Amino acid sequence: MYDKDLIIYCAICVCAGLGSIAAVFPFVLARLVRPATRIHPRTLQSYECGNLPFGQSWDFRHGIAFYIYALIFLAFEVDILYLFPVALAFGDVAPVRGVLLLGGFVFMLACGLAYAWCTGVFTWTTRKKIY
Amino acid sequence: MDDEKKNILTVSEYAEQLRKRSQPVSEHEPGLLARVPIIEKILNFCRANSLWPLTFGLSCCALEMMAAGMARFDIARYGAEVFRPSPRQADLMIVAGTVNKKMADTVVMLYEQMLAPKWVIALGNCAISGGPFAGEDNYFVVEGVDRLIPVDVYVPGCPPRPEGLIEGILLLQEKITGTRHPFPQTKHS
Repeated sequence: MYDKDLIIYCAICVCAGLGSIAAVFPFVLARLVRPATRIHPRTLQSYECGNLPFGQSWDFRHGIAFYIYALIFLAFEVDILYLFPVALAFGDVAPVRGVLLLGGFVFMLACGLAYAWCTGVFTWTTRKKIY
Repeated sequence: MDDEKKNILTVSEYAEQLRKRSQPVSEHEPGLLARVPIIEKILNFCRANSLWPLTFGLSCCALEMMAAGMARFDIARYGAEVFRPSPRQADLMIVAGTVNKKMADTVVMLYEQMLAPKWVIALGNCAISGGPFAGEDNYFVVEGVDRLIPVDVYVPGCPPRPEGLIEGILLLQEKITGTRHPFPQTKHS
């Protein structure tokens, strides 16, 4: 039983290895076949349609609402992700226990949603101009 | 009046300044594989047959450039139809038209931001020498884009016909690979 599981993990390792090779290989290949390159003063500048870029990225104020939205999205994504193995093993456990555990898990995440809702995450604050 | 004239920076001096400012600050050697002659040959063949021009029309010659991209002249037969809006993706700059003093800095900047290897085609008389604007009273037209950036192929005409641009691209391919494009539609008898 345990050996079989280890073989499955081997497949994960192989996939991770292939993935890392696929990520690194283009950089290595590009380094190997690159032509003679001249770096001019503005070659490495961040590109802005032929204009000079100005300001820093932290001069721009991003809305904090996006961050909280991302966190809530992450919570539900994890929810869905963990429900796949539950669905696979649902037939193996006693029905009452399965439903109770599943209900508890979803209830805990739903509590997080209720908390976010109460604190007013879903009411979109209009942007104020700050001078 | 004459004193006033002296204070104005002439176009050629301005172009000279721009060119000095854009001198390369450092150079990278070619990669290990790129130094192997046969691989270099293959790479050059690929580069020559997939030139990606920058969408960069400065004036009327750009219309001929557009015509060359359309169905009748169909520059796609020579692999040069993918006009890219960003210099980061382009390797061929077709300077199509008059380079003004106001535009000169942008031309140089776009050339600097293109990735190596990069080539330049000067399309039309204005880009080659200033064309009808070259003269003593000229205060605003750069007399030839080669005062700013190195040019590989000059295509004369006012404006040149799309066949002229196609011939320019074939000449550039010849310059890159050392031989004329081998496909049959380019064999002119």
